[in-house]
Amino acid sequence: MKYSEIIKLNNELEGAINSPDYKIAILSNIMVHQSKEICEYSLRIESVNAKVLLGEYDNIVQDSAKFQDANAIVIFWDTYNFIDGFQYKAESLSNLEFENIVEKVETEIDLVLNNLKDSSLVLINKFSSLIFDQFSLSNSRINKLVLRLNVYLEEKCSSNVKIIDIDKVVSRLSIKSSIDLRYYYSSKTLYSIDFYKKYFEYIKPIFLSTTGKIKKALIFDCDNTLWKGILGEDGFDNIRIYQEIQYLALHLAKKGVIIGICSKNNPNDVNEVLKSHPDMILRDENIVIKKINWNNKLLNLKSIAEDLNIGLDSLVFIDDSSFEVELIRRELPDIKVFQVPSREYEYGAMMRNISNLFYSPSKTEEDSAKTQMYKNQVKRIEGRVEAGNIEDYLASLDLSITVYVDDLSQVSRISQLTQKTNQFNLTTKRYSETEIKNFILNNDKLVLSIEVDDKYGVSGLTGLAILCKKISKIDTLLLSCRVLGRNIEYKFMEVIVNMAKKHNIKFLNSEYIKTQKNQQVEGFYNRCGFNTIIKSDNIIQYQLKTDRYKNEKINYIRVKNGS
Amino acid sequence: MEARVKQVMSNIFNVEINLIGNDSSPDNIENWDSLKHMSLIVALEEEFDIEFSDEDIVDSMNYALIINILNSK
Repeated sequence: MKYSEIIKLNNELEGAINSPDYKIAILSNIMVHQSKEICEYSLRIESVNAKVLLGEYDNIVQDSAKFQDANAIVIFWDTYNFIDGFQYKAESLSNLEFENIVEKVETEIDLVLNNLKDSSLVLINKFSSLIFDQFSLSNSRINKLVLRLNVYLEEKCSSNVKIIDIDKVVSRLSIKSSIDLRYYYSSKTLYSIDFYKKYFEYIKPIFLSTTGKIKKALIFDCDNTLWKGILGEDGFDNIRIYQEIQYLALHLAKKGVIIGICSKNNPNDVNEVLKSHPDMILRDENIVIKKINWNNKLLNLKSIAEDLNIGLDSLVFIDDSSFEVELIRRELPDIKVFQVPSREYEYGAMMRNISNLFYSPSKTEEDSAKTQMYKNQVKRIEGRVEAGNIEDYLASLDLSITVYVDDLSQVSRISQLTQKTNQFNLTTKRYSETEIKNFILNNDKLVLSIEVDDKYGVSGLTGLAILCKKISKIDTLLLSCRVLGRNIEYKFMEVIVNMAKKHNIKFLNSEYIKTQKNQQVEGFYNRCGFNTIIKSDNIIQYQLKTDRYKNEKINYIRVKNGS
Repeated sequence: MEARVKQVMSNIFNVEINLIGNDSSPDNIENWDSLKHMSLIVALEEEFDIEFSDEDIVDSMNYALIINILNSK
């Protein structure tokens, strides 16, 4: 899209997105003002209400103190502008002069990282010498310096800092297209519009993952998608497995992405391939959900989302048929749909791009166990159909919840839960690892996290409540969709109220903040016996007199103490 | 071409397209500062797939002059 159109559409989207501002501060030692609209637009089209704040020119250190509370801080620290004209002065400086500059930069790196140590998310571009590098066999002083500074940066930065390999962006475009030098000497603008478009495309997954907008499930058609050929016509022996695609999908499965199948086929035929085709890479144990039948794919995809308890906008679907692709794009636009390219050699590159939609910043143990957890969930749903009476069914599950209080070992998973949970989330407050850690260490806050077990397995950490003692308020209450439908929420409320009583809270306050995805919990506090105190369009405030609380007498869920 | 130039200017400066005319310049468009001027140039270059010379950049300080420069390309 053209730059002027981006500016126009970005203006139109301003104020049209119904979610809190996501403030991104862009700090730099060159002029980067053209990044603002491009960055905002790239996120606003994903319903992230991005607001970019630009730092002053060449003022990274002071700005890092000024903008430390932004939701994210992006730093353009251009090597050639460490001092004015560094690209042509560097080789002629004395060793002492050169080292003084390096020392100054290292000191500034320390200051900046220190100022930003409690910030939610910091993206700092790797130091690069690509732009003004000579096409020469000998390594320049700046080439060597860049290597050294990047090691320094790597060693110094903590887990809230992501180092962005800006050379990857430049190499996608070429050096020539990445820069526009016309204003470099007079105004210190360096990068071209094309560069900014590519750059924000590159880093966008980080923002999406921290705002809960990342994709969760990748669903494949079978014929001419997982393999070449039509199983029902060509037969078991004559299909050719797309191994590259399946290896890439397997890698995603191991990172916790849900892999599923939605195909018009005979289920027995496909299951036979999954079970015993010698070339297959994906096997039954990697596939969380299968809809193999002759129903239309709209129904099947909808029921996949329902069974997994995730939104349609968390789904990515790949199919070879233009008919199916167009149908789904038109009828279910929330699903991101890809068509297998007609040139087979382009399929791998497409699949690698698709992998980026599932970007996850920190890998936790649970991500890798997730396939099994989602499979258990689907099994439970199948069991539910047979069981008929829901209470009997729940009682047959041997449910238990394990409660952890202020457990520092869970910081990363807790923060992930706040960022990824959209549906059963009363206030939808997103917290970084640093913030969670501070809550746990803070005397005023109680961080209750729960694991849910049943006879099919452990769901892992799937529920969270944050209590503020001073104001007697539930700041956050959420449950992962994987454990919903089992009355866990009512048992958890019992735990929370007991905890409040233990801390002498007589009146427990709470609130519901409406989002596009959490309507299902709108009446939750009332159902738990809270009284509505104040009601506005998007926020409802409640209060509960704790000694009046009547629990739901859910005897079939046991409560265990985890800490 | 005139309509496309007006559209680009309207987008960049965030003003109504029908308020842009021959005498539109930094004097009567509040948003038209030196940074926005750079944005205008790159947007016009992208729109018409051309390149402005240094002189063109300095000279293109009102709508009529921009049209002149584009006509000469």
